[in-house]
This record gives sequence, structure tokens and C-alpha cells, in this order.
Amino acid sequence: MLDLLPQFLVNGIITGALLAIPTIGFTAIFAVLRFPNFAVASHATVGAFAGLVANVYWGLPAVPSLAFAFLIAGIVGLVSDEIALKPLRKHGALTTAIASIALTIVLENIIRFFFGNELRGYDLPLVRDTRFGDVRVNPQQLENLALAVVIMVLVFTALKYTRMGKAMRAVADNPGLADLKGIDAALVGRVVAFAGMGLVGIGGMLFGLGTSIDPLTGFRFILPIFAAAVVGGLGSIPGAVLGAMIVGVGEEMSALVLEPAYKSAVGFLAIVLVLTFRPSGLLGERAY
Amino acid sequence: MLSWLFSVATFAGIYALLALGINVIWGMGGMINLGMAGFFALGAYASALATTSGGLPIPIGLALAAGLAALAGGLLCRLTLRLRGDYLAIVTLGFSELVRLVAANEIWLTNGSDGISGVPGPWRSELTPFRFNVLSFALVAAAVVVIWALTERLRRAPWGRALRAIRDDDTAAAVAGKPIRRFKIQAFALGAAILGLAGAFYGHYTSYIAPDIFRPLITIYIFLALTAGGTGNTTGAIVGAVAVVLVLEGSRFLEGWTSVLGGVQKAALREVFIGVALIAIMQLRPLGLLPEKSPGPFLKRKSR
Amino acid sequence: MTDRITTLGPNRRSVLMGGAALLATPAILRAQGTAIKFGTLTPLTGVGGTYGPSMRDAAVSVFDAVNAAGGLLGGSIEYVSEDTQTNPEAAVRAVRKLIDVDGVSVVLGTWASSVTTAVAPLCWENDVMLFCVSGADSITRLPHMGYIARTQPNSVLQIQVAGDFMLRQGSTGMAWIGPQTPFAQSSIDILAGQAEGAGIGMESLIYEADKSTYRSEVDTILRSNPDFIMLGGYAADSTVVLRDIWQAGYEGKIMGPAYAVNPSVLDALPDEVTEGVFTWEGAPAIGSTAYANVQAALGVDVVDPYSAQTYDHASLAVLAAAAAGDAGGSAIKNALRSISQGDGTEVSDALAGLEVLASGGSVNYSGASGPCDFDEIGDITGTQFLFNQILGGAPSMFERV
Repeated sequence: MLDLLPQFLVNGIITGALLAIPTIGFTAIFAVLRFPNFAVASHATVGAFAGLVANVYWGLPAVPSLAFAFLIAGIVGLVSDEIALKPLRKHGALTTAIASIALTIVLENIIRFFFGNELRGYDLPLVRDTRFGDVRVNPQQLENLALAVVIMVLVFTALKYTRMGKAMRAVADNPGLADLKGIDAALVGRVVAFAGMGLVGIGGMLFGLGTSIDPLTGFRFILPIFAAAVVGGLGSIPGAVLGAMIVGVGEEMSALVLEPAYKSAVGFLAIVLVLTFRPSGLLGERAY
Repeated sequence: MLSWLFSVATFAGIYALLALGINVIWGMGGMINLGMAGFFALGAYASALATTSGGLPIPIGLALAAGLAALAGGLLCRLTLRLRGDYLAIVTLGFSELVRLVAANEIWLTNGSDGISGVPGPWRSELTPFRFNVLSFALVAAAVVVIWALTERLRRAPWGRALRAIRDDDTAAAVAGKPIRRFKIQAFALGAAILGLAGAFYGHYTSYIAPDIFRPLITIYIFLALTAGGTGNTTGAIVGAVAVVLVLEGSRFLEGWTSVLGGVQKAALREVFIGVALIAIMQLRPLGLLPEKSPGPFLKRKSR
Repeated sequence: MTDRITTLGPNRRSVLMGGAALLATPAILRAQGTAIKFGTLTPLTGVGGTYGPSMRDAAVSVFDAVNAAGGLLGGSIEYVSEDTQTNPEAAVRAVRKLIDVDGVSVVLGTWASSVTTAVAPLCWENDVMLFCVSGADSITRLPHMGYIARTQPNSVLQIQVAGDFMLRQGSTGMAWIGPQTPFAQSSIDILAGQAEGAGIGMESLIYEADKSTYRSEVDTILRSNPDFIMLGGYAADSTVVLRDIWQAGYEGKIMGPAYAVNPSVLDALPDEVTEGVFTWEGAPAIGSTAYANVQAALGVDVVDPYSAQTYDHASLAVLAAAAAGDAGGSAIKNALRSISQGDGTEVSDALAGLEVLASGGSVNYSGASGPCDFDEIGDITGTQFLFNQILGGAPSMFERV
């Protein structure tokens, strides 16, 4: 089995990079709005279906379709947050989190109502893997990886250099202080609800590329997203990337030691291990 | 129709037990446990295995179910004691998925995804289905009353008030000399025991358990039940559970309005309705239908 | 999407037509006899949701057709559809409502083995006949007293037939890859036995269902250099595995059950990925009236095995009730084998069967999914198997055994 190690490592890095995008969205929402938004599952599905509409019905290529997935998932994220979750925020993070689960049921079934349960695929060509020695990589995956890196760079640049990004960090660090500085926390919240869920939507479409999507698409990778966010430190964006890499690589490498039927257990073990030593995750909560 | 009402009421009773268990852990102890389905599963499997392959009588199965779930709950709580709520939410969710994976994959123990069929129910073969429903309802209702009385008493006892104090502010409680760790582990284990008991009841009532039953969906229903009923309020837990079962089952009768739609669309609408109804209840009654009432200050009296 | 529209169109129309026909039926006819109530219990949401909707529509088309042609036993069939949510807990609540509130005498179309096993005791305790498409061998071994009939060949038979096929195609190394299901381990054991008998290697891997990539699993299975891989999952998993196997550069043969490599999978994946993949299923009666009826009801060319089976569930229930002169569950149970097999006139749809029965004859129903003959425990017998090969994104017949 050890001969497969380099291959598993590569698979893991690629899975991790893909996982990082929705994890950033999830953790950013946590950082600013202060609750774990479990509705990421349905927003990933919304993104996947929005991308499908752009790609299959309108014939757009992958990147504009991803942009559309971002836009629609973001809008749905913003609107559903305003209507369903925002009024509950004052009653505590966990109440809101539980309502976000009910929201997931609603959104999933709205998609089901309009699109049905049939599996659907994108109109994008598939290519076979390229071999580099013992390791094979798919060009599509490399594109996804590149895309993931670009998106991460954009997110970090936006956080660091734009006015909104700075405001977001200020609110995340200390809402009270941010308020004193005259930052409009409500506006920041809206931007984060939009952009965070937009990223989750991109994640949903990226995972669906080359396979099929259906109303349950988002549920296929929410556990790894939660695990990645917790391992990295809830609310820490670099933590999200690091956590995603650990969970992604861990899940793929687990085939070496664990029955593949227990793949999801890796995320759980990673959480328990990390939290035993660092109760706030690897990078804590305020690291940017 | 009557038989159905008893069966719905039995499910409501099982949901109420689950809500009471979660209420001890979350409502009273302030610890979120999204791993509810995992404890529900542990109890169901413990009792089902004890009474089928183990050949033991059902009461022993119930005791084993509560005991095993309590043990697992205590251990998990010990492991996660230092975690803040949102972390605990995700860790416990992972725990329940792990339980489900084990149940599906360790075929030698759990019969895998085939599940365990023929779990005995009390006098099931001697009774008509209707009478079995009535008996099941009576037994589950009795269990709900007993657990309700027990947790309500605990809530009003010093133990419960100390727990509330810890939930609301554990530093202050620690200052007041409360052994926080012990209280939390006890509360988690007690709540888990109730969840395990509910699992055992479920198995003996429906006669079949399988890993698929213990998907997180049921956890969601119960948290919604507790939130709707009034977190921390023992009676509210029961009211909320009944409300959720009414929404779940009542929504089946909406079909009449939607006859032009296809089957999937009706099913989808039903679930949209369930979700919207639950969010609406939470928004209209954010503290639940029966908000928690403090049984009297404990810390304040002590520290003054 | 065009697929969706064509599926919906005829359905909605047929529902309306059924409704219109119901209204047109003379009031006296409708008032006669006790209400005949049948329930469909298919997965409309959850993991089985890709299958359940068309299963329901296929079954309902039979009831609508019978009602439009004058009904059954002097009344019309009322049907109620509930959703299993692909979850035994939800399915138990749903079946209770079907039995206790709606008073159905037949429940048809349960898909997941766990759901079937969960609802089965409630059915047999309440004299309700249960028709299912689940594959777990344990189902027909339940103490069901005849109340379960299964139209899906049991998994032992399916895998043996498929393993024989792989060997006939000259496999020198087999592999099985699939999620944990009630028949995963037994499939592996059967294939391993066959491989050992043939003196070739056999590799297997049980993965975790509902993941979005199986690259590492595929790498693991390819290590043993198999030249014939069998898929053990359902449609959603199979799209992922097929993609990953293809991208890995695998050039050998692949086969999967027809319910897993189904038209929606073929639609979702580019043709080159599925080119040459074999599928197998209990041979449907392509060209029969029943098959044509399902094609028309669903608006599709290739009927998936499950929809063909639920169409047959509905037809069998109707004919058994007509033959017994009683639409109760135990009457249908007792009459089932008198209309599903034997020396009667061979009929392929419920309407033709009703005519024969009305004229005092006896029938042997052979439906869309095959001959529909049952043994004493409710398993289907005498099934032929159809092997297709996917060419250019569509199944074409390879052989029939």
C-alpha cells in the first residue's frame, strides 16, 4: 500500500484545496455573525444548481458559471439570512444554528420542487489524468486547484486591503470596538452573509464538476467542512485553509490504515486530537 | 384512525423522551449535543441486541440501553469538557456519524446495514395491532411522566440549580465552590441515559432498527422540538415534541390542496412547510411556547 | 431538463384525465362496493429520491388506466402516495398513516432494504400486502406469512449471474467496489468464490457512501490490476466512481447494475466515460404492452428497472383483487400467485387481465419487468437477465440469459 502514498498525498492536497473554499465561507460567517451556519449544505447545492443553469441551459463555460454560482448562492445566503436567521440572532448562537438547520431543509426542498431529484451533469468535457512518474493528476483538478488558490488570494487580499475587509476583521475581533469606530456592523454582516455563502456555492459547483448533482449534493461534504473549520479554529480564515488541508489529506491518506468505509471518521479523529491539545483549534479564533 | 392516533402519540412520546434528555444536557446544562442520534442509536442497539441475541427480558434491555448511553455520554463529555458550545456542536455531530458508521460496518455485532429485525415488543404476538399500539402508548407515556417528574424534581433541587448557575456563568459558579466538571459530566450522562432509553423504546415499539434510522435528521427534529417548546422547561420539552410530531404528521394531510403537482413536488412542499413552520415558531416564540421559568435564584442567595 | 419536461407533461395530463374519467363514471358505479385503497410508498426525498418519483408515477399510471376503463370490482381505485424519505423512521410513520388512516390494503414500491424491513411487520400484522423492490436477501426470510412479494431478483442470484458473465467475458482479474449495503459483503463473498473457482484474482473495497470523490479508493482497487470491475453502489455514487475510474486511465471492462448505471447517470456523464460499460438487470419485457405503457407514462425510451417493477406491483395488486373478488390485503395475498403464474392466459397489462377475468378466464400476468412469478417466500423466480452495453451514451442489448 505504501507505494500509493505519494498518489494519496496528491489526491489529498487537491481535495483539501477544494474543501478550503466553502470552509472559508463557513468560517467567515462564523467570525462575523458568531454562529455556525449549518445551512452551508443547502447553499452548496444552490451554487451547484445555479452553475448548472448557467452552464447547461445558457451554455456558459466553467468560470462564468462559477461566478454565477457565487452570485446566486450569495443572494440566497443574504436573503435567507435576513428573513430566517437574523431575527433569531439576539436569542443566541445555538438557537440561530438550529434554525439554520431548518433553513437547510427548506432550501433543499425548494430546489427539489423546481429541479426534481434526477441526477444532472454539467456540459463540461472530462479529460483523463496526466502521469508524473508514479503519480497521476487530472488537468481539471489542477485547474480547480489553481482556481482555489486564486480565490483564496482574492479573499485574503480583500480582507487585508479593502475597507470592507478591514471592517469585517474589526467586527470579527471586537464588535463593540468596531461599533465605536463607526463601523456599520449590520452592513458588514450582510456582506459576509453574501460572500460567505457565495464561496460555499462555488464549492458546491466545484465538487459537482465531472460527476452529477442532485438536491442532496451539499450534504456530501458538510461534515468535512465542519471538521476543517473546527480543526483550523472556528472564525480563522487561514485556519480554514489549514484545516481543510489537514482533513482533505487525512481523509485520502486514511486508506493506508483505515477501512475506506470509515473515511468520515478521519475528520472526527482530527477534531478530537486537535481540540484535546488546542480547544480553540490550531490557529485559534482571531488569526488572520 | 384511532390506531393511528395512538401510534402518532407513541412517536410523540418517544420524541418527548428525546427532548427531555436533550433538555437535561442543553436546557439545564447548557451543553449542546448534536450527537443525539448517536445516543439514541446506542440505546436502541443495546436493548435490541440484549433482547434478541442476548435473550434477556425487555426491562434489562432498557436498563442496559440507559447504562450504555450514560457511559458513552459521560466519556464524551469528559473528552470535550473544555470546548465552547459551537465546537461541542460539531464534535458531537461527528460522534453520532461515527456511531452510525460503526453500526453500518461492524456486521458481526450489529448485523450491518441489514439492521436488526424482530426486536421483541411486550406481548406483541398476543395482542392485536390496535391493542399493541395502545399498550405501547401507555408504556411510553408512563416513561415520559416518570422522566418528566424526575427531571423536574432535579431541576428544582440544589443539583439542578447549581447546574443552571454553571450554565449561565461557570466562572461565578466555580467561585461559589461548585465542582463544575462533575456537574457537567453528570448532567450529560443523565441526559444521554434518557436518550438511550428512548432508543430502546423505539426499537421495541417498531421491532426493527437499522443504521439509516439514526441519520442526523431526527436530531434536528428534536432540537427544533425543544427550541419550540421552551429550552430549559421540562414541560416545554414535551409540548415541543408533540408540536413537532403534529407538524410532521399533520403536513401529510396538506396533499389535498396540491393535486396538480407531481409526487416529488408534493413531498418537497411538505418538507418546505415543515421547515418554515419550525422557523416561524422559533421567530414568533423565540423562548419557546413555554419559556423557562427560574425555580428560584440559587447562586445569588448563596453569595449574598 | 428536456427530460424533466417530458416526464412531467404526460403525468400531469394523465392525472387530469384520470380525474376527468372519475367524474364521468356514473355515480352508481362509484357508490358501489367498499372503497378500494392502495398506497404507494416510494422514496421521494433522501438518497432514494432519484428513483422514487418515477416509481410512483409508473404505479399510479396503472390505477389511472384501470379507473378510466371502468374501475375495479365495481368501484374505482383510490390511491395515496407517501414518501419514505429513504429513512426507516419516517417510513414507519408514513406507513402507519397509510394503514390506519387511509386504510390501504396494499403498500407498494418500498425501495431501501432498511425501509422495507421496517414497514414489513406493520403490513403483515395489519393484513396489508407489501410489494417491494429491495435487494437484501433477508427480506423474504422475514416471518411475513406471504404478505411480502419482491420483484427484484435477490442479490445472491444477481451477483452469481453477473459473476458468470464476467468470467464468460474472459476476465483474468475481478474487482468489486461499492458502498456498505445489506448485500455488499455477500456480493464480495460470491464473487470471490467464483474467482477462486476460475483460478483468478479478486479484489474488493467497501467505501463510505455519499462522498464527492473516490480517487484514492479507485487507486487502491486498481493496484491489483483488475480487468473487470463491478460497481456495487447506486446512481449517485456510481457517477463519481465511473468518472474516477475513467480519469485514472483504466482500460478494462466495467459492469454495474442497470439501476445504478441508469439513464440519468448516462446523461450526467460524458459518453466517453461510460463507453463500453456493461449493465445487467432482471430482463424487462421490452416490446410488451406493459413496457410500452411505462414508456408512455414516464415519457422515456429506457425504463429503469424499479419503475418497471412498481408498474407490475400495481398491476398485480389490481389483478389479484379482481381474481379474488375482494380488494382486502389477505385476499390479494392469497390470490397473488393465481394471477402471476400458472396456466392462465398470458397478459401483459392490467386492463387485458381484467377483461380475461371478467369473462371467467384465468390469467398469468407477465409485466414490464419480466414474468413476475413468485416462489413460496415471495422471491421472484424464473427471471431472465438482460446484459446491455453502453455505446454512445445509450444501452444496447448485449445478451440475454
